[in-house]
Amino acid sequence: MPATRSGVARQHLDYTLTSREDLGAGYHVLRFSGEQPLNAKPGQFAMVRMHDWGQQPLLPRPMSILGGGAEPSILVRVVGEGTARMAEAGEGERFALNAPLGHPWKLPPPDHQPIVVAGGCGVAPLVFLADKLTTDGYRADGPKPQVLAFYGGRTDQDLPLAERLGQSSQLQIATEDGSRGVKGLVTKPLAAKLEELVAAGTKVKLYACGPHAMMGAVAKLAQEHCAPCEASLEAAMGCGIGVCLGCAITRTRGGYLYTCVDGPCVDAATVAWDERVF
Amino acid sequence: MGAGDLSVKVGRVKLANPVLTASGTFGYGIEFCDYFNVAELGGICTKGLSLEPRDGNPPPRICETSAGMLNAIGLANVGVEAFCRDKLPRLRERGITVIANVFATSVADFQKLAKRLDGEQGITALELNISCPNVDHGGIEFGRDPAAAARVTQAVVEATQLPVWVKMSPEAGDLRAVARAVQNAGAEALTAINTVRGLAIDADTWRPRLANRTGGLSGPALKPIALRIVWELSQYVDIPIVGIGGISNGRDAVEFLLAGATAVEVGTASFADPQAAKHVRDELAAYCAERDLAPRDLVGQLKG
Repeated sequence: MPATRSGVARQHLDYTLTSREDLGAGYHVLRFSGEQPLNAKPGQFAMVRMHDWGQQPLLPRPMSILGGGAEPSILVRVVGEGTARMAEAGEGERFALNAPLGHPWKLPPPDHQPIVVAGGCGVAPLVFLADKLTTDGYRADGPKPQVLAFYGGRTDQDLPLAERLGQSSQLQIATEDGSRGVKGLVTKPLAAKLEELVAAGTKVKLYACGPHAMMGAVAKLAQEHCAPCEASLEAAMGCGIGVCLGCAITRTRGGYLYTCVDGPCVDAATVAWDERVF
Repeated sequence: MGAGDLSVKVGRVKLANPVLTASGTFGYGIEFCDYFNVAELGGICTKGLSLEPRDGNPPPRICETSAGMLNAIGLANVGVEAFCRDKLPRLRERGITVIANVFATSVADFQKLAKRLDGEQGITALELNISCPNVDHGGIEFGRDPAAAARVTQAVVEATQLPVWVKMSPEAGDLRAVARAVQNAGAEALTAINTVRGLAIDADTWRPRLANRTGGLSGPALKPIALRIVWELSQYVDIPIVGIGGISNGRDAVEFLLAGATAVEVGTASFADPQAAKHVRDELAAYCAERDLAPRDLVGQLKG
């Protein structure tokens, strides 16, 4: 079986929905089982489609993988017809997952403090990463520094899996309306913490996933502090495997990155964050 | 005929079965080798190749529409040299039948491309894209005008030993005139149809969903238009037609054969399921086996 760049073969897998957890505000965690486990690394994604879609919705939806293994899971936010159908799916419904796809997060260099920065649905690949890092010893009682997490939303409704993220990190929440955590954008407490850490001579590695503007702001902060930063890109996709070329993102040095095969996890400095056309 | 013989002849080209994949939906073929044995298809049409690499259009480039999608990729591709160096050897070693889809903005560049590919082992035919709706120059205007279409076709035919197929725009004013012109200019087959230009609008932002504003419609929504055009053209030209437009299962393929296509291309369906083309082939084979027919027995057999 040929392997992808992550070293794991991508496959078109048949899965059955084993549970759907409604987190409120249009967020749902879907868990699956199938004959084969999903050997995914944190940051990789799946193209997800339900068997009963027929010819509409037509395209599978790109979804960050929340967890792999024997019971793989994804976090869904209802944004259109496809995700609405997923949010109504019942136990036993059949799904096709083309996975694992794309570049995973790169693990932090030695002696670097990992910091994850999440916005809304972007929390999924960061929960997966924080879980993995915790297992690898990045925890309060472990040999490596505990993961620091910054999680932002418009209101306290936009913070799915916050508790889950908090289990594998030291979590700071920010909401724009102040309904939970500090009031304002998540980059505010992040900037303060970065100042503090860098002043103390701590090397940091940033991981961002969330709205485009948030990731752009995190990338800028990282650049100001000369800190390495990865971002997990989001784009509409047709195929997920580099053939439709629909998921282009403008690159700093001209030309385009393809979210599916160059990402979704990329060095944030390679993205021209201000260039995106909406 | 032998049971299970699915082979068809498209001009000089004998295909093991009538199921090909459509340019722009199957990359350079290698991407799908993780999912199934691509050599079991009739063949693949490559992403449109140009003389120089192309970056393509600004994003957003695609959006979903009712039972279909719009794309305005802008013919992003690695260029013919990188294709011959990096992709073709891998297709050759896997025994994949390759139709090279080519695109240029001038007759001279079409001719250069044809010459460049002429000497390469492992290419079975050229498919000329004279019908891309998403580029400013050299796309659809070649495909709209019978004289221009004939000029391109003839120039390429003179530059290569390879069989030349011409991919038709559904938007030519007189499609039959274009078809007849490229046939007379030496085309051995017509591929019909390329995407139809469409527009998707976001009612919240009042903006087009694509940065290019318009894009090419593909997917099941296109199928009735494609079937109609294949059927019309098949009654008007003598060369074989390769049918394309919304094919996602074996019965769709049968419909195109009945309408007059000799072979078919599976396009957007490969996005929904990377094994779609294999399923189309298997389902077509089963359909024929159940009726003790070969695919070629179906060609143009539409009744009434």
